[in-house]
Amino acid sequence: MIHALRAELLKMRSMPGVWVSFGLVFPLTILLVLAVFASAGGFTGHTFYFVSSLRERRELLGAGYFGIEVLAPVIGVLCVTSEYRHKTMTTSLVLVPVRSRVLLAKVITVAIWAVLLAALSLFAVLLVALPWNAALGGVTSQVTDQFGAVVPGLVASAVLLGLFGLGFGTLVKNQVAAILLTIGGTLVLEGILEVLARAIFHYDLNWLPNAAGAALAGDIARGLGGGGGGNGQSTGLRLLTWWQGGLVMLGWGLVPLTIGYFTTFRRDVT
Amino acid sequence: MTVGATTRGLPIEIRGLSKHFGTVRAVDDLSFTVEPGRVTGFLGPNGSGKTTTLRMLLGLVHPSAGTATIDGHRYQDLENPTSTVGAVLEATSFHPARRARTHLRMAARAGGQPDARADEVLGLVGLSGDAKRKIGGFSMGMRQRLELATALIGDPDVLILDEPSNGLDPQGIAWLRDFMRYLAGEGRTVLVSSHLLSEMAQTIDNAVIVSFGQLKAQGTLEEITAGITSVVMRARTPEADRLAGVLTQAGMAFRRLSHDEVAIDGVTPEKVGPLLASNQIILYELVQEGGDLESVFLTLTSGLGFGDVAESL
Repeated sequence: MIHALRAELLKMRSMPGVWVSFGLVFPLTILLVLAVFASAGGFTGHTFYFVSSLRERRELLGAGYFGIEVLAPVIGVLCVTSEYRHKTMTTSLVLVPVRSRVLLAKVITVAIWAVLLAALSLFAVLLVALPWNAALGGVTSQVTDQFGAVVPGLVASAVLLGLFGLGFGTLVKNQVAAILLTIGGTLVLEGILEVLARAIFHYDLNWLPNAAGAALAGDIARGLGGGGGGNGQSTGLRLLTWWQGGLVMLGWGLVPLTIGYFTTFRRDVT
Repeated sequence: MTVGATTRGLPIEIRGLSKHFGTVRAVDDLSFTVEPGRVTGFLGPNGSGKTTTLRMLLGLVHPSAGTATIDGHRYQDLENPTSTVGAVLEATSFHPARRARTHLRMAARAGGQPDARADEVLGLVGLSGDAKRKIGGFSMGMRQRLELATALIGDPDVLILDEPSNGLDPQGIAWLRDFMRYLAGEGRTVLVSSHLLSEMAQTIDNAVIVSFGQLKAQGTLEEITAGITSVVMRARTPEADRLAGVLTQAGMAFRRLSHDEVAIDGVTPEKVGPLLASNQIILYELVQEGGDLESVFLTLTSGLGFGDVAESL
C-alpha cells in the first residue's frame, strides 16, 4: 500500500493542473482577506479596519475557504480523471494491479494535498493579515486567537471537498465534465436550486455539497468565505450543524466514489 | 548491457481463456504455454484477440472463462508484480507534462524500487540524455523505449510486449530485436505480440498464432513452418479439369483457385510430382507454397482451411 501511495503522491506532484490550483488559492485568499478588512471597515466609516468581533476574526482566518471550496474538488477530480484523459490508467493498474489499493492510495493522496491546500490558504491569510491588521491598528491576537475554532473545520472541509471531487472524477471520468459538475454544480446550480427550494417549497436545501461544506467549515463560511449557494448569510439558508455537514460531505465523497469504483474503476481497461 | 541479476524465467499458461464483448467473441477458448528463456511471438491479424489476451493476462480485462497465469498465479495475485512481470502495452500511456525520469520514478515507487532504478533503466533503453525532457515532446520511438524502460523497472522475470515495434524506425526495430534476444538469453520469458511477420521471423524462437480469437498453431518456428510447408502445392495447368479428376481418384484434397490453378492440400512435391507425371498432365507451374512465417501466417489466418495445424504439431 505504501508503494502505491508514494507513486500517487509523485503523480500529483508532477501534474501541472495541481500547481495551477495551488497558485490560484493564493490570490483568491488575499482577495477575501481584503474583503474581510473592507467589511470590518464598513461599520466604522473607514474603507478598511482591523478585525475585532468574533465573527470578523473567524472570517479573516478562514478567508481561504472560498479558494478551498473551488480548488479542493478540482484536485480530487484531476487525481483520477488525468489517468483516463492521458490513458495512464493502464500503466497504473499494471504497476499496482489491485484496484482497490490504487483507489485507496488516491483517497489518501487527495486528502494530503487538500490539507496542503488548506495550509497554503492559511499561510496566505497570515502573510497578508498579520502586517495589515497591525497597520490598521489591530493586534496579532485578533488574527490568530480563533485558530482552534477555524482551522479544524477548514481542513476537514478541504479534505472532504477533495474526496467529493475524487468521487465525481471516478464516476464521470471525463475531466472537463467532472470539473464542470463539481465546481459549476456546487457554485452555480446548487445556489439556484436552494433559492428555488425556498421560494417554491419553503424548504432549506442545506444538504447539497456546498451547503454541507459550509456547515462543516462553520462561521468562516457563513460570511464572505461561503461562496455561492452555500452561503448561509447571503441566501438565508439554515445550515446543518458542523457534524451533520461533515457527515453529509463524507457521503457526497463516498457515494460517488463507491459507485464509480464498481461501475467504472473495476471495469475492463481495453 | 546489464539488466540485472535476475535470470529466472517463469512460464505463462493460458488455459481455456475466453472473452466475450456482448455477442463478439474476442478470445475463444484459447490455450497455450509460453516457455522461459525464449522469445515467443504472439501472432495474429488485427482484431484477432492478441491485445485482449495480454490484457487478461495482466488483470486489466476480466476473462469470461478460463485462466491466464504466470508461474501458476494470476497477475493480480503476484506478491511483487513489477518484479515478476514487465509489460509494454500502449505507446500513448504517458502524462505529456511529466518528465521521463519522473515517470520512471513513479513506476519505481509503485513497485517498491529505489528512485535510482529510473536512471538505470533510462540508460538501458538509451534515453539517459532525455531524462529531464517532458514526455509530450518525445517521438513515437522514444515513447516505445520509455515504455520498455517502464516494463524493466522491476527487473522482471517475464516481459510481455504488445506490438512494441510500432512506430520504431529500422534502427529502433533492430535495437529492439537485439534487446529481446538479450533478455531471453538471460533466461527471461519474453512474449511479444505483433503482426509484422518479417520482423518477428528474425526475432522469435516460438510462435503462437491466433485468428478470430482461436489458436491456429503453436510451437517452435521450425515446427510451424515445417508443418505448413508439407501441406500445399499450387499447380497451374491448361488441364485443370483433368487434374481435378486425377486428384479425386488419388484421394487428395484440393481447391480450384482459378480456371487454370489448383491448390493441392496435404502433399509434398515428392508425392504429387510422380502422380502428375504418370498421368501426363501438362504443367506450366508447380509451386510449393509456404516455408516462411508470413505464408504460414497467411495460410493459418485467412480462413482457407489448411487443416488443423495446431493438432498436427
